[in-house]
Amino acid sequence: MAEEKIEAKTEAAAEPQVEATPAPEPFVGDIVTPDLKFVNEIMTGGGESLKKCYQCATCSVVCNLTPEDNPFPRKEMIHAQWGLKDKLFSNPDIWLCHQCGDCTAYCPRGAKPGEVLNAVRKLSIEHYAAPSFLGKMVGKPGSLVPLLAVPAVIFGIILAFLGHLNLDAIRNEAGKIAYSSLIKSYYIDGVFVPIFLFAVVSLAIGILRYWKDMKQATGAVPQGSILSAIGETIGEILTHRRFEQCNITKDRKLAHMLVLFSFAGLAITTAWAVLYLYGYEIMHAMGKTPYSWLLGPSPYPLTDPMKILANLSALGLLIGIVLVINNRLKNQEKAGKGGYYDWLLIYIIFAVMASGILAELVRLADIAVLAYAIYFVHLIVVFFLFAYAPFSKMAHMLYRATAMVFAKATNRDVELK
Amino acid sequence: MAENKKVLVVGGGMSGLTTAIEVAEAGFEAHIVEKSPYLGGRVAQINKYFWKLCPPNCGLEIQFKRIKNNPRMKFYTLAEVESIQGEEGNFDVTINLHPRYVNDKCVGCNACAEACPSYRENDFNFGMDKTKAAYLPHEQAFPFQYVIDAKTCSNDCMKACVEACKYNAIDLDMKPETVNIKVGAVVLATGWNPYDMSKLDLLGSGQIKNVITNMMMERLASGDGPTKGKIIRPSDGKEVKNVAFVQCAGSRDENHLPYCSYICCLASLKHAMYIREQYPDAKVTIYYIDIRTPGLYEQRFYWKIKDDPKVSFVKGKVASIVEEAGSKDVTVVVEDIYGGGKIKETFDMVVLATGMEATTKSSKVGMNIAHTVDGLVDDGALKKGIYAVGTIKNPADVARSVQDATGAAMKSIRSLK
Repeated sequence: MAEEKIEAKTEAAAEPQVEATPAPEPFVGDIVTPDLKFVNEIMTGGGESLKKCYQCATCSVVCNLTPEDNPFPRKEMIHAQWGLKDKLFSNPDIWLCHQCGDCTAYCPRGAKPGEVLNAVRKLSIEHYAAPSFLGKMVGKPGSLVPLLAVPAVIFGIILAFLGHLNLDAIRNEAGKIAYSSLIKSYYIDGVFVPIFLFAVVSLAIGILRYWKDMKQATGAVPQGSILSAIGETIGEILTHRRFEQCNITKDRKLAHMLVLFSFAGLAITTAWAVLYLYGYEIMHAMGKTPYSWLLGPSPYPLTDPMKILANLSALGLLIGIVLVINNRLKNQEKAGKGGYYDWLLIYIIFAVMASGILAELVRLADIAVLAYAIYFVHLIVVFFLFAYAPFSKMAHMLYRATAMVFAKATNRDVELK
Repeated sequence: MAENKKVLVVGGGMSGLTTAIEVAEAGFEAHIVEKSPYLGGRVAQINKYFWKLCPPNCGLEIQFKRIKNNPRMKFYTLAEVESIQGEEGNFDVTINLHPRYVNDKCVGCNACAEACPSYRENDFNFGMDKTKAAYLPHEQAFPFQYVIDAKTCSNDCMKACVEACKYNAIDLDMKPETVNIKVGAVVLATGWNPYDMSKLDLLGSGQIKNVITNMMMERLASGDGPTKGKIIRPSDGKEVKNVAFVQCAGSRDENHLPYCSYICCLASLKHAMYIREQYPDAKVTIYYIDIRTPGLYEQRFYWKIKDDPKVSFVKGKVASIVEEAGSKDVTVVVEDIYGGGKIKETFDMVVLATGMEATTKSSKVGMNIAHTVDGLVDDGALKKGIYAVGTIKNPADVARSVQDATGAAMKSIRSLK
């Protein structure tokens, strides 16, 4: 009797096993191997609070920029805790985040999702950077000096080559301080044009890799016209509509807008100056009398429309970047203070503006040695800004825009309020 | 017996009562100081309490009987400790007694309340109804004695009460009094307050009528509550057929209470039971981060409720609650973590599982009390001879508070010299 019972039991126990459907396929694939090195990189890159997250999903609800389906940043937090690099990098979500800090302010554990995503974005830029060693260097405080030394050496060699070391005596034909007399524009452009092209190519490689990864990982096929998605994205960037969704850091919109538009103003100024100089030179070379409005080599009078735009943009950028610093300090309690990577870009932009404006003022004050010294510093930081743009936070411009285009094209977009 | 062979117990809830009774039954004197006009504390407000799920009287009645039978016990209601000075074995305590305006001749006939023309907000029912200004704190109040609220009872109102009382039980000449006693030990048992809903800005800041706390739910379900035990919603008295529970409303949250309040998961499960017993077709949804029901009994209770197909559990913390205009229904927003999306659901009523906040955070008991980083009483930092018991040092249920109280009785006796 007893034996029978046992037998019956065993049978009953065995039965469901036979009947049980095999475990669903994805289960096997879902076994993850934590990448601890990557977790460490996030934590040292500004996301040190990462492990405090206990997955309550408050962040995903308070975020006004996340899509409803598979929202961020809650899932990014667990992916980051496990070091699932690919899941983080190869989708638009980390870039759809604009780091409002609302999630950070409301996080019940002080896990600062905004800061963690920021650190992941830094690593993402590093990951897609070409060449990758530069990506790693720009993110490390220890590499700052060598990175600054590159332009210092380049321009130093040029100066030595030109023999322009007696700074006080360097004047243009009118006897004024002229930076174009210190280093002729051909030399400047001889450095900056290749640097600019290098940055463009490097960024393009990074962006293409990112796009390919997103397509592959999400399996989403962009639908409709990419061009219209690009158009919409540009529209949103120009109006800063996404910044308006932030609650805690609402005041960031004005600061960021000032910075962006001032940069645009300076880009126009640069093109304009190129026209002044090379238009003049080309006409001259062709044996024609250059048009009177082609002013030739700098400096240009303060009343010239190009100079007015230049000075306004410079002032705008200076005010903008000071506001950025101010906002960050003001909101650091709630929204997080940011890491080296963020502050590097902020300080470089500040240095570019401060040195640029000072160079102009000291030039007008006619203090030659100081003016040229400041100009030299200006060249170094401008070089830094452009040459390392694909590896610094500057690259956010294109990565975020790309993510927005991808999200729009694959219907993973948020409806803005 | 020396005068200071006495223990002062501050707070007449379950922990304080138990401590005092145990001390008295061990042969020492025990004095209870209670702020409200009745003994029994939070337990008196509960509809059914764990583990037997019986009404509060099944535990309190025994305690009250033990008090009545014991000549070594004394209690003060409407009393607050003004100061505690001295040292272990020899404390001087000053107690302020607020006038009740009703003396011991009161038989509880309700004539004063019937005659009383003024009303007061009923704090026993968390303001969900009103009582007359001459009132019995609640139906099972101990001492069974009316109170007159001088703040809402004008001279005319007082006169009406006096005239209505056949027993000369109303004494308008009562004045605030001060009592000085010497004790050998002090036990702090001032208990907890439900976390203030108005601080939960994401959860409606206490401004949405149909969003109530778990303690309000207890009153709604109680036979002597504002609705005589019928669970209906506050805005229009509609029967609730679809109710949501928001777990961790203020608990496990650094911005509010950093710790887990321990009782809220079980309380919500119990409330789901109340609702389902009353409305066989009602649906209940519990939004949680983790269901925490530590202990075998607790876990079994969870499983029992979970077996009810009309009770569903969604993992994800609610982080937005809005009132629907017109219907006054309540919509919650949450990320359904296992479901993979941000969802919006509308309910008849939403219950916030608010946690336990130590009362010592908001009121002093005659001395400065050190709190831990979590905001609970740091009992290790208390002066020798002073002990903390129950929920002021750790969120706990009734059973655990009683166990702790027994221990505190033992400890306090050892301080009597």
